[in-house]
Amino acid sequence: MYNGAGGGNDIQWCFSQVKGAVDDDVAEADIISTVEFNHSGELLATGDKGGRVVIFQQEQENKIQSHSRGEYNVYSTFQSHEPEFDYLKSLEIEEKINKIRWLPQKNAAQFLLSTNDKTIKLWKISERDKRPEGYNLKEEDGRYRDPTTVTTLRVPVFRPMDLMVEASPRRIFANAHTYHINSISINSDYETYLSADDLRINLWHLEITDRSFNIVDIKPANMEELTEVITAAEFHPNSCNTFVYSSSKGTIRLCDMRASALCDRHSKLFEEPEDPSNRSFFSEIISSISDVKFSHSGRYMMTRDYLSVKIWDLNMENRPVETYQVHEYLRSKLCSLYENDCIFDKFECCWNGSDSVVMTGSYNNFFRMFDRNTKRDITLEASRENNKPRTVLKPRKVCASGKRKKDEISVDSLDFNKKILHTAWHPKENIIAVATTNNLYIFQDKVN
Amino acid sequence: MEVQKEAQRIMTLSVWKMYHSRMQRGGLRLHRSLQLSLVMRSARELYLSAKVEAHEPPEVPSSVARSPDPRLHPPREAQAAAEAASTDGEQPCPEPMDTQEAPKAEETPARCAPRPAKVSRKRRSSSLSDGGDAGLVPSKKARLEEEGAEEGESAEVPERLQAPPAQAEGAFPNLARVLQRRFSGLLNCSPSAPPTAPPPPACEAKPACRSADSVLNVLVRAVVAF
Repeated sequence: MYNGAGGGNDIQWCFSQVKGAVDDDVAEADIISTVEFNHSGELLATGDKGGRVVIFQQEQENKIQSHSRGEYNVYSTFQSHEPEFDYLKSLEIEEKINKIRWLPQKNAAQFLLSTNDKTIKLWKISERDKRPEGYNLKEEDGRYRDPTTVTTLRVPVFRPMDLMVEASPRRIFANAHTYHINSISINSDYETYLSADDLRINLWHLEITDRSFNIVDIKPANMEELTEVITAAEFHPNSCNTFVYSSSKGTIRLCDMRASALCDRHSKLFEEPEDPSNRSFFSEIISSISDVKFSHSGRYMMTRDYLSVKIWDLNMENRPVETYQVHEYLRSKLCSLYENDCIFDKFECCWNGSDSVVMTGSYNNFFRMFDRNTKRDITLEASRENNKPRTVLKPRKVCASGKRKKDEISVDSLDFNKKILHTAWHPKENIIAVATTNNLYIFQDKVN
Repeated sequence: MEVQKEAQRIMTLSVWKMYHSRMQRGGLRLHRSLQLSLVMRSARELYLSAKVEAHEPPEVPSSVARSPDPRLHPPREAQAAAEAASTDGEQPCPEPMDTQEAPKAEETPARCAPRPAKVSRKRRSSSLSDGGDAGLVPSKKARLEEEGAEEGESAEVPERLQAPPAQAEGAFPNLARVLQRRFSGLLNCSPSAPPTAPPPPACEAKPACRSADSVLNVLVRAVVAF
C-alpha cells in the first residue's frame, strides 16, 4: 500500500544520481562515514573511512530544462585526516572522518570542520579562476629571467584560467580529547563550536587552537562506576548558550552555558520511562541514542535509538511528543543482531527544511521517512536497480511474520550488511542524499 | 537449562567480542565496551536466576542469597578478597598487587591459551558437586583463585614483561575493572592508579591483578564445559 510522505501533497521521490564505485567489492577506505549539506544546499560534503572529504556542487539550474534541479558534481576532493599513532598509549588513531559541519558562508571561500577520533580541522575551500601572467622578472614557468635580458618594464595582469578548487587546512584543533570524538556542532554565534567524546564536551573558539574549555565532564572518579557515555551533542540552532547531549542510557540533557562554567548539572533532562512490556535482555543497549538533531525552528529535537525515532518538545521532559518505529520487526531478532554486531550500528536522522518530515536509515539499503503532519510513513530503497533518472521510487514493505505478500520482503531476507547510517536533507528543497556503504545516492522529488 | 545455556553462550560471545574489539584499529571503544559489559551482566543475572530456579532446596544457602543481588559475595570470599561491588568506596586489596590494567587486561587473553589445560584440571576437581556450571559460581571461584594465586604469580611477571604494551588500554586504564565489576563473585582489587592519568603500560614494575585472569578462567571453563 502506498503511503506518501510530504508536506500536504504526496511527494514522489525519484532517483537522481549515484556516486561511487559500482563493484560489490567494497574497499574499506571508501566506506562513507558522514554526509552533510551546507547552509545553502549548493554543496554536499561526504567523508569516508580513508580520511578523505569529497565535496559535490550543484549545477546552476538550467532555465530551459526546468523539469529537474541541478545535478551534483565533484567540486573538490582532499585528504582531511591521515592515520596517526599515539606512541604514549600505543594506539592507532583512525583517519575515518566521523563528522563534517559546514560554517555559514561569509565571503567567497567556504569553510567546514571535519573531525576524526581525536583531531578537528578547519578547512578553507576556495576557488581560483584567474592567475597573474606577464611577470617582468619571471618566465611563465616561474624561472627567473636573466636580469641582463630584461629591457622593458611590464606589469602582470590577471587572466582567466580553468577553475581550480583548493582546500587548505586553516586550523588544527588537537590534543583535547582522551576518548573518541563522536560529535561536533557549530554555535549560532558562528565563533565557537563544541566537540564531544565519550565522557567530555569541549568548547572551542574557531580562531584559537591551543586551548579549549571543558564544559561537560561525566567521567566518574572511579571508572568502575561508569554507567553511561555521551553519544551525541549539538548546539541549539538559535540560542547560543544552549546545547544538548545524549547518552547511552537513552537520556538527553539540555545545558545552559550561562548557568555555570562546567555544565555538569543539566537544565533539563529528557527521559522516557521504559515500557516494561518491551523489557528484554538487550533493552539497555538498544535504548542508547545514536543521534540527536534539533529542528530548524529550535522548538523540537529528534533522537534516534536502535529501533525508533523520537521527537521531543523542548518544553516537555517526561516523554517525547512523537515516536516512530523504524524497524520494529527487528525487536525479536536482537540476539542475532548482537551476534553479527549490527545491534551496535549507529544510525543518524535528519529533518527536512520545514521540519515537517524526518528521515532515517535502516538495513537492506532501506531508508524511512515519517511525515509528522499526515502521520504517514514510507520505506524506500537505495539501489542501482532504479537508476534511471526521474524513475519514481517504489515504496517497499517488510513483512514481519506470517504470509508474505507479493512485493514484500521478509525479515529473514534482509541484507544486514547493507545499512544506511547516514542521510542528509537539503535545507531548502526536497533533495536528499543517502549513503549506502560506499555509494552516495541523490534523490529528488518529482517536479512536474 | 536452555536459558542457562543461552546465557552462557552470550557471555562467552561477549568476552570474545571484548577481546576482538581491542585488536581493532583505533583502540578500545569505551561505548562498545560498556555495552558489552552490560550484556555480560544481564547474561550473568539471567544465568544465576535460571540456576536458582533449576536447583531449589539442595542449593547452597550462599547461592540463594546471592541470586537476587548478583553483586553480593559469599561470606567466604568477602573474607578472602576485597569487596569491590559496592559503589561507594574501594577497600584495600589484601593481596599485594597493583591494579594496573594495561598488562593485566592484555595478559588475560594471552593467558587464555596456556591456561585451559590447567583450568580444566582445576575444574574437574571442583565441579563434582555442581554438574558442570562451576564456572559461574562464586564459591568455586574463590577456591580456584587461591589455588591460582601461587602458580599465577610466578608466571605472571615474565609474561607481563614480554608482552607488548597494551594496544588499547592506555586510554581506559580501568576498563578491565569495569569488566570485572559486572561479574559478581569475583575478586576485585581496588585501583591504586589515579583515575585521571593512565599510567604508561610498560613502566611500572608491579604485579598485575589476578582477578581479570579469573574472569577469563571462568569463561574459558564455560566454553570447555559446553
